[in-house]
Amino acid sequence: MEALGINFGLLIVQIIAFAIVFLTLNAWVYKPMLDMMESRKQKIAQGLEDARVASEARANAEKEAAKVLAEAQAEAGKVVRDATERAASAGKEVKAAAEAEAVKARESAMAEAELERNRILGDLRGQVAALAIAAANKLVGDTLDEKKQRALIDEFFSGVKGGKVVVAEALSGESAEVTSALPLTSDEQASVKNSVSVKEVSFKVDPAILGGLVIKVGDKVLDGSVAGKLEGLRQTLK
Amino acid sequence: MDGSILDAMRYVGAGLAMIGAAGAGIGIGLSVQGALTGMARNPDTYGNLLTNMILGIAFSEAIAIYCLVIAFLMLFKVV
Amino acid sequence: METQKRTPWRRWIVLALMIAGFILGGIFVPVQPEIAVAAEKLIEEPIAENFLGFLGPLYLVNTLPTLAVTLVLLLLIAFFANRSLKQSQNTDLVPRGIGNLVEAILEMLYNLTEGSAGKYAKMIFPWFATIMIYVLFANLLKLIPGFESIGVLHHAHGEGHTIAEIGGGWANLLPAKVEEGGYILAPFFRGISVDLNFTASLALISVVMIQVIGFRAQGIGYLSKFFNTRRMFKVPFFGAMDFLVGLLELISEISKILSFAFRLFGNMFAGIVLVAIVAGLLGKFSILPAMIMMFELFVGVIQAFVFGMLTMVFMAQATQGHGEEHAEH
Repeated sequence: MEALGINFGLLIVQIIAFAIVFLTLNAWVYKPMLDMMESRKQKIAQGLEDARVASEARANAEKEAAKVLAEAQAEAGKVVRDATERAASAGKEVKAAAEAEAVKARESAMAEAELERNRILGDLRGQVAALAIAAANKLVGDTLDEKKQRALIDEFFSGVKGGKVVVAEALSGESAEVTSALPLTSDEQASVKNSVSVKEVSFKVDPAILGGLVIKVGDKVLDGSVAGKLEGLRQTLK
Repeated sequence: MDGSILDAMRYVGAGLAMIGAAGAGIGIGLSVQGALTGMARNPDTYGNLLTNMILGIAFSEAIAIYCLVIAFLMLFKVV
Repeated sequence: METQKRTPWRRWIVLALMIAGFILGGIFVPVQPEIAVAAEKLIEEPIAENFLGFLGPLYLVNTLPTLAVTLVLLLLIAFFANRSLKQSQNTDLVPRGIGNLVEAILEMLYNLTEGSAGKYAKMIFPWFATIMIYVLFANLLKLIPGFESIGVLHHAHGEGHTIAEIGGGWANLLPAKVEEGGYILAPFFRGISVDLNFTASLALISVVMIQVIGFRAQGIGYLSKFFNTRRMFKVPFFGAMDFLVGLLELISEISKILSFAFRLFGNMFAGIVLVAIVAGLLGKFSILPAMIMMFELFVGVIQAFVFGMLTMVFMAQATQGHGEEHAEH
């Protein structure tokens, strides 16, 4: 052993030296290094985990966004449809209102025109009567009883005689339309109403019938007009 | 040139003992050859083969080391 | 471009060094040093008559200064590596400077350990890495110029060299030999791996720790590797064989100490013998030993790797039970 240089003292010294090296390296190098490797591994794993979570969250958010977008689109479509419908109905309403207004305006205008014509014709009636009396005076040469004459003329024009409608027979119906050549006075109208047993009576003025009355009840027409009589006369003369 | 025949025979014996190293050399060569062939055929096994090759070399070399120890013992008159 | 300019310049330096080697080899002729297996004593008298009371005399041999240098160097590196690692641990986990170098090497070693030891890597790694780094430093420090060549002169007991004084108390050893009154050189520094005490201590530590790790991994069941009585009563013949094989395992554990110690020592000793003999034989042409030094560098690294690797592999084997091994494979 001595020749090979093995000396127990030196052996112990070498073992102590190795122990020093081992403990120092273990405490100063290996532990910090392994700790660092471990924490780095954890950090990387943490990073990967974070990235995974983030990508998941992003996918979720994208899905959510797509859902929200779809909902919003549906909502918008509905709103647009509603608005369109509402606008259409509003337009229709406006149009209908306008049309109704127009119709009303026209009707009122027509009624006014009718009224005006009736008034004019009413004014004319007195003059026509006076003219007829004057012409008859000239023609007959005798002064006729003015009052009688006037009643005659009135009767001619209105077809209402002594408070009774001459032509009137027993007519029955819901409503009657009475046409006269010149506007009737309210007394005459009342007498017409009395003689015709219908609830509603409307009065019209048509100079073309010349005189008398044409009463229309339902689909029945009672022609008591001068024009009708002349026509009947012409038919018989033929 | 003096010294006893015993000294001479010590040197001769040490030299003869080291003949055993030849076998270890052949063994190491064979194991490296096998490992290298394996590595060349399948480079993926490099690490595994390297470890086992070094282990095999160590076992072969141990024989040569026994020879060396015997040679030392003879040379330095330990026994 | 730059390297093309620089390379010839470096070549000239190498050539100049070679020429200087020739010239200096002519002036100071290389002497074949005294090749000794044991470390030379720097002082003839022991520094401790009876070390620790019972271990016998302790001499100041020339591996002790080298041991001190190696330890100081390793501790300095460990200190700076520790500082660097701590700094990067506290900042951003990015290793810098010496910490980066240390970590790059150690991480490689750790992966190697993890590859063969698995979950016991944390237990095995410090031993593997320490043995490897320590042996590597021991092997490489031996190659520094001045090791094995500068030292104190002792009066030779037998044949010795003549000396030539070169002033200042220093002398040069001459190749000429005299029978009586010559001198032999005891170098100040001798590589610690060229000392059986170093290699044997490492081998002892390694083998003891292999057993310790085996017990820590397997508990008392580790003993069944050596005293295998598992099949003794079921199949008597093979059981007896197993028992004998277990005893052989015990012998092989002991022979591990021997082979660890002598592998490293043999390789390193062969290195210095080779350099010494070649230098002594060639005399003035002292270029070739430089080439052998290069080979020594290679051998030193390889032996450090082999020592550490074998320790690691044996430790990894010890963690795997004999019975479990078949189940695992």
